[in-house]
Amino acid sequence: MSMTYQEFPGVEWIEGAGDFITVDEKLCDGCGNCIRVCLAKCYKMTGKKAHVDNLERCMECGACWYSCPPDAIQFSWPPGGTGFRTLWG
Amino acid sequence: MSMNEDYDVIVVGAGFGGPVAAHKCASAGLRTLMLERSVTPGDKVVSGLAIPFYAFLYAPEFIRDGNPPLERPIRQVVNNFIRDGEIYAKDTSLWIPPPLVLTYTAYCVPLCVWLADRAVEAGTELRTRTTAVDLVMEDGKVAGVVTDKGDTIRAKVVIDAAGTQDGLALKAGLRKKLPTDTLELYMLWDYEMAREDVEREFGNKVEFFCAMPDERIVAPLGFGSTFYIFVYRDSIHPGLGQFIVTEDKVENVARHLEDYFERFTTTVSRWRDDIAPKVTLRAKMFDVCPIYAGLDRNVREMPIHGDGMMIIGDAAAMESAAFGDGVPNAWFSAAIAGDVAVEAVKAGDTSAGFLQRYDERVKAHNLIGASLSDTRRYDMRWALPGNDEREMRRRAHELFGRGVWRWRHITGQVVREAMQAMSRDPGGALKWLKMFNRFNRNCETGFSDTLSKYE
Ligand SMILES: Cc1cc2nc3c(=O)[nH]c(=O)nc-3n(C[C@H](O)[C@H](O)[C@H](O)COP(=O)(O)OP(=O)(O)OC[C@H]3O[C@@H](n4cnc5c(N)ncnc54)[C@H](O)[C@@H]3O)c2cc1C
Ligand code: SF4
Ligand code: SF4
Repeated sequence: MSMTYQEFPGVEWIEGAGDFITVDEKLCDGCGNCIRVCLAKCYKMTGKKAHVDNLERCMECGACWYSCPPDAIQFSWPPGGTGFRTLWG
Repeated sequence: MSMNEDYDVIVVGAGFGGPVAAHKCASAGLRTLMLERSVTPGDKVVSGLAIPFYAFLYAPEFIRDGNPPLERPIRQVVNNFIRDGEIYAKDTSLWIPPPLVLTYTAYCVPLCVWLADRAVEAGTELRTRTTAVDLVMEDGKVAGVVTDKGDTIRAKVVIDAAGTQDGLALKAGLRKKLPTDTLELYMLWDYEMAREDVEREFGNKVEFFCAMPDERIVAPLGFGSTFYIFVYRDSIHPGLGQFIVTEDKVENVARHLEDYFERFTTTVSRWRDDIAPKVTLRAKMFDVCPIYAGLDRNVREMPIHGDGMMIIGDAAAMESAAFGDGVPNAWFSAAIAGDVAVEAVKAGDTSAGFLQRYDERVKAHNLIGASLSDTRRYDMRWALPGNDEREMRRRAHELFGRGVWRWRHITGQVVREAMQAMSRDPGGALKWLKMFNRFNRNCETGFSDTLSKYE
């Protein structure tokens, strides 16, 4: 099964990716960088803590991971054959 | 564990560099396994993509003498300067006569599939849909990889060709996450366009756009960087890059990218009136590009090899700081790593001490060195403080105008090296000429000798 979204034509997401990006709430200082850099709107802020809302449109770019000063974000690749793919990159 | 899970070499990643390393190893008779996490090679590679001519001149022979799937030969760069929402000046001084070519545009999937085909033809075993999640460590030495399927696969050497966001070299303790100020976030669009329209509007030219920050369309630097339109056979491929950090502050890059592109497409008549009516949006993508990693001393000093492991291409932060082209260095470093892997396995020594020669050969490679240390693009920011348009245009001329050919720049170095090579071996020059002619013909007809089917 795979999904497509209107905001990102030409890209599909194959199911089974799981929670390959997570936030360690203890380390998060609420700076909001992850929200400012994520073009797929994957993050939400609750109180002063960011969390991954959903990775449905995540293109695995790593911008959130690179931009998190206290290193609160754990970034890994989804399992083989899952996550985003495109023929037009 | 069964015997057939032992290899001489495991290459992680079948993007642009991986297959070149695998091809070298398999051709020399090494048992070579290439792992790729995507369904089809290249379907997770989001890139520009225009590959400069020197990548092909100095790439392994199977690329130079082959029929890779390329889109369009580009012979001229048009730099458009925007003020008050309109183009007020152009710099078209960078061009080259046919059959020579400045850069070939290409889609990632067809080209990565073609490269992987060649590696498989040479004897590489390719496993797609497989993520390498960890390294097998033995007495501090890399001895293989663990996959997401839970398999442990052992090898004498691991070549890490996993691209920018690679986690394996971090796990090996060899490299660290790239600093935020070396990165740009790129948004990319793919538009279908009838071939006659592409010919009429662009021909064999790519276009760059420059404006001061107040325009909020695309700044020379600051939180805006380049905006370009790359031109394919019957499509066009714009890309807009933004720095993630300015003055230590993480920008609202997500909003800027959307806003800037919206403003560009609705105000600049070149797009609104000439191009928009003739194109249909087919895809929209984004990715992080480590364009200035090479200029960062700490990054340059991070190791690119360890015990049992070599790191190539983007995983080793080898994107050119001038043009943002990473394919040439991915190919050059992959070829060196492939050679060193063959020598190491034959010598029965894959220790860090032996693999040190990979490091040395990469450092001695003129083109890799020149491209990593090129500050021309970074220096465009010096036009910002005085809001100095003339300075911006002067610097753009150095980067994407005729200034490119100066001896001290990478392109000047390429010309110098090419001339030396030609005087040593005139036969080699003939091969280059044949290459240009063959590639140009293939771009016309859409021909390539790809073996694998994919969709
Ligand atoms: C927006 C943008 C524009 C660019 N424009 C240009 C351009 O115009 N010209 C140019 O020459 N270069 C350009 N580049 C750079 C170029 O795309 C890269 O330098 C090049 O792709 C690097 O090749 P590589 O083999 O090192 O990595 P990649 O091509 O990224 O390949 C890495 C491969 O490894 C796979 N992988 C990653 N981790 C694992 C794992 N753990 N297990 C299994 N598989 C894994 C990935 O799926 C991928 O297929 C651009 C880059 C970006 C982001
Ligand atoms: S990897 Fe990129 S797309 Fe995915 S959550 Fe992070 S910033 Fe968003
Ligand atoms: S970037 Fe890191 S620290 Fe900042 S809000 Fe996001 S998770 Fe928290």
